[in-house]
Amino acid sequence: MNRRRILAGTVSVVFLGLVALFLPSLHKTAEPAAPTMQPVAQPPTETAATRAESEPPSIPAPVVEAKVAALPPAPQSAALPDVDPHKTFGSRNAPVTMETFSDYQCPACKTLFMTTNRRLMDDYVSTGKVYLIHRDFPLAMHAHSRVAARYARAAAQIGKVEAVEQSLFQNQEKWEQSGDVDGTVAAVLSPAEMAKVRALVKGGTLDSLIDKDFALGQTYRVNQTPTTIFHCKGQTFPYSGVMTYDTLKTFLDQLLSQK
Amino acid sequence: MMQSSPLNLRRAILWIGRLVLGGIFAYAGISKIFFPNTHLWPLFILKFSISTNLSTFAQQVESYKMLSPPVVDLVAHTLPFAELILGLLLLIGWQLRIWASLITLIMLGFLGVVTRAYLLHMNINCGCFATPEPLTGMTVVRDGALAALAVVMTVLAFIEARQPHPWSAPEKV
Repeated sequence: MNRRRILAGTVSVVFLGLVALFLPSLHKTAEPAAPTMQPVAQPPTETAATRAESEPPSIPAPVVEAKVAALPPAPQSAALPDVDPHKTFGSRNAPVTMETFSDYQCPACKTLFMTTNRRLMDDYVSTGKVYLIHRDFPLAMHAHSRVAARYARAAAQIGKVEAVEQSLFQNQEKWEQSGDVDGTVAAVLSPAEMAKVRALVKGGTLDSLIDKDFALGQTYRVNQTPTTIFHCKGQTFPYSGVMTYDTLKTFLDQLLSQK
Repeated sequence: MMQSSPLNLRRAILWIGRLVLGGIFAYAGISKIFFPNTHLWPLFILKFSISTNLSTFAQQVESYKMLSPPVVDLVAHTLPFAELILGLLLLIGWQLRIWASLITLIMLGFLGVVTRAYLLHMNINCGCFATPEPLTGMTVVRDGALAALAVVMTVLAFIEARQPHPWSAPEKV
């Protein structure tokens, strides 16, 4: 009779496993669509004309896009919309493009930035294998993340994004408590640079750029940070959460060697 | 010898406990291993998905600020599999007393950890399942209810083991 019990238990376990595996919508807080191996539908690309209309005049035109437009064949990243060249790293012609949707107040984003991304920059981005795009995805649950995103955007406009991002993530716990994003950024910029950053932040033009990133994230069904979207050979793989450098390295190496 | 009824209250509670706790444990294990990233093929992508899911779970374990980094890593890479296996064993019902006792200990441990975090007003995710779920009073209540169910189930499993099984053959006179 024990056999009957074991059989009944095994059947219910298999059934439960199948339910858990094939109902991924249970895990989604936003739109119910699990990332699959199938390429995700690419968000619509804005035309140059509409972009010129919607972007504020103070933001320089995407110079890199203009240069790369003449290069055949079109790079992996060519179809990606609203790429702010100030918040990208590496070559647009890299075989793998990584879009990271991040929130400056999110602890997991800090871990990803402080551990994995630094080595990624050295080994893959600067060697032309990966094109890294930073996307802002300030979550409503974090009181100061949008302000931090504004400052980082402004710093990006004056070419100081790396220092400011580093400072924001490194001192996350401090400004999270005090709300002093301005002081955190000022600590790593000269007074002249800080004046430019403050002017850009006060200008109020950066929110539309942040909103564009956020809207793009929603089309990818991003519902937690960090979420990284890998684009390679026409395929798109969304990944939520932190990834250690070693696992990312193994993944990238195999992705790059894929035929 | 007279057989005991297969449908008494003790057995009903035991069954409910097994199904609820076994189901929740198996589901918690599966969700931590296979979600939020469920890329299943090819193999290197599956491996990367699982690694990323476990790294994300490690973040949640770390956020409780109770364990050193190597222990966090160990817990994050063993607990989901342990939950899955224990859940399955509970559902199967084999050696129930052992696994029910182990699950009770784990549930009491979870209850202690979430209560501590709640009392310290830690603004963190519970890490109970794959979905980011803020730790609130409801989390403590839910874990308390499950821990109580686990204790009751374990006690009943020990009592039940002393009784003749309803499906067992009657003793020959």
